[in-house]
Amino acid sequence: MPLIDMPDFSTDLLNEFAARRTERVNTPVIQPAEPFLDMAGEDLRRRIFLTESETGANLCLRPEFTIPVCLRHIETATGTPKRYSYLGEVFRQRREGSHEFYQAGIEDLGDTDIAGADARAIVDATGILKALLPAGRLELTLGDQAVFEAVVRALGLPLGWQKRLIHAFGDMAHLEALLDRLARPQPVTGLDREVTELIASGNEAELIARIDRTMEETGYSTNASRSPTEIARRLKEKLELAETRLDGGALLLLREFLTLQLPLAEAPAALAGFADAADLKLGSAIALFDARLTALANAGADLSAMTYRAAFGRPLDYYTGLVFEVTQAGSSAVLAGGGRFDRLLTLLGAKERIPAVGFSLWLDRIDTARSGVAGGKVETGFRADPPREEKTSQ
Amino acid sequence: MNALTIALPSKGRIKDGTVEVFEKAGLAISAVGNDRSYRGRVEGIEGVEIAFLSASEIARELANGAVDFGVTGEDLVREGMAGPDQKVEFCARLGFGQADVVVAVPEIWLDVETMADLGDVAADFRARHGRRLQIATKYWRLTQQFFSSQHGIQLYRIVESLGATEGAPAAGQADIIVDITSTGSTLRANHLKILSDGVILKSEACLVRARKATHDEDPRVARIVEAVRAAL
Repeated sequence: MPLIDMPDFSTDLLNEFAARRTERVNTPVIQPAEPFLDMAGEDLRRRIFLTESETGANLCLRPEFTIPVCLRHIETATGTPKRYSYLGEVFRQRREGSHEFYQAGIEDLGDTDIAGADARAIVDATGILKALLPAGRLELTLGDQAVFEAVVRALGLPLGWQKRLIHAFGDMAHLEALLDRLARPQPVTGLDREVTELIASGNEAELIARIDRTMEETGYSTNASRSPTEIARRLKEKLELAETRLDGGALLLLREFLTLQLPLAEAPAALAGFADAADLKLGSAIALFDARLTALANAGADLSAMTYRAAFGRPLDYYTGLVFEVTQAGSSAVLAGGGRFDRLLTLLGAKERIPAVGFSLWLDRIDTARSGVAGGKVETGFRADPPREEKTSQ
Repeated sequence: MNALTIALPSKGRIKDGTVEVFEKAGLAISAVGNDRSYRGRVEGIEGVEIAFLSASEIARELANGAVDFGVTGEDLVREGMAGPDQKVEFCARLGFGQADVVVAVPEIWLDVETMADLGDVAADFRARHGRRLQIATKYWRLTQQFFSSQHGIQLYRIVESLGATEGAPAAGQADIIVDITSTGSTLRANHLKILSDGVILKSEACLVRARKATHDEDPRVARIVEAVRAAL
């Protein structure tokens, strides 16, 4: 392998990975495109380099490592826990900067000590960055989807509304739109009168039969993805959700929570205070948050350089808890981004649930930072990027 | 001075409408050689050539700056290039070729009337059906912008469909569609309905200019734009 274009600190980096007892893995540069589009959404299509095989299969140049590393883990079926590291080129269509650049990182699969594994990912990412950038002052921003989920649950909203809010977490514009709807419920209009009556009288069986008949008549039965039952049940749920109004106080609480931003060391007290004042039971999410912080402190992490931001999340459905990113003081360029993705492996086809946490290092930005060039532009406008990148725009 | 090129559709309703508007604007178009020729000229103005192209090629040639003007549907221009407002200027809406690019779902989806409803369905789709919601369309760029940027919907897959898109849901190739419609009759015939906030773009034929620095000082450019606007 010609290595002359690799960053000059690659050897140091690989030594750091080895010292952390990771197993270095490689994955092919040419990857099936479907898993990336399936996981990150169609928006990714214009950000990756797509091609087709002779037989029509969608292929792409590796846009990131997490999905290929996880797929490889599932295929090789070597069991957990596993700590994988990688270093290699990734390919993205970017408005600024090169289309091909190096990324490295660690994926920690199957460790059931969630708080411990979270803390280790943070300590590893910051420790490696410190080794590569001895002169720089690092800053870390941390978010936790599980805490947001706990707040939403504790507010006592119907399940459907909980799902909507949790799904939008990390996308402030979408979240704001949902909060507006909760503040000013709009009744559902334009529904067929007979359908309305069937729902009002609770005659679900007849409603389902009616939908089924129409589907038969219009030729939608054979290939229907959504069954009459699914449609009828969601219609009923929708009518209920449309009447849900979150009272002003609760709405204010939710908004107040989303503006929380404070030194990480002060976050447990602030969250406990918030829960008390609002009379919300945040239970296990807070316990995990605190346990992670304890694990960080025990590992000797520099908590003074870490900030908790309650609204920080990634709006992709496989992220479950911790998210974090690391910058250098005075720069907005994200040098490392990471998080917990406990749902990814089952979405990719793993038979059992495998807890997972990891991080990626942006070697081109680290290289720029090492050469002392200030700033470093950050791509903006990214939302549906694969793991780790998009937060920079939020 | 270099010749200016105006790209026009080589056939169909938009071609006929354009010829009419240009004639009213005092810019009568005549084919070079015979009627089937793909080159033409504009009477009464020197150094302006007509290139008859297919409607979708016109958007591409505008994006490349290979032609100076083009007449084509706004939908094709916005679908055909990234950052259209930086690359081209919509100089005039010509009042024909109207059609809407819309999000349409099966009529029987009684619970889905708005994009927000669709967002709920899309979010749950994989858990219920083992795959993402599928959208048949030829407008993948417009679809992405509308779903992701405007409605925060990320989790769906596009199934490219180059024709008879309205048939895709009943045939099981996709769950819903994004397509162009002028009267809605084809959608109705296929038991599809447009979402209440599902109009992505109200398109019509437009006179479109490729943004080029050389146009600033060129009197022919201003004259063409003014003449066409005055004829509407």
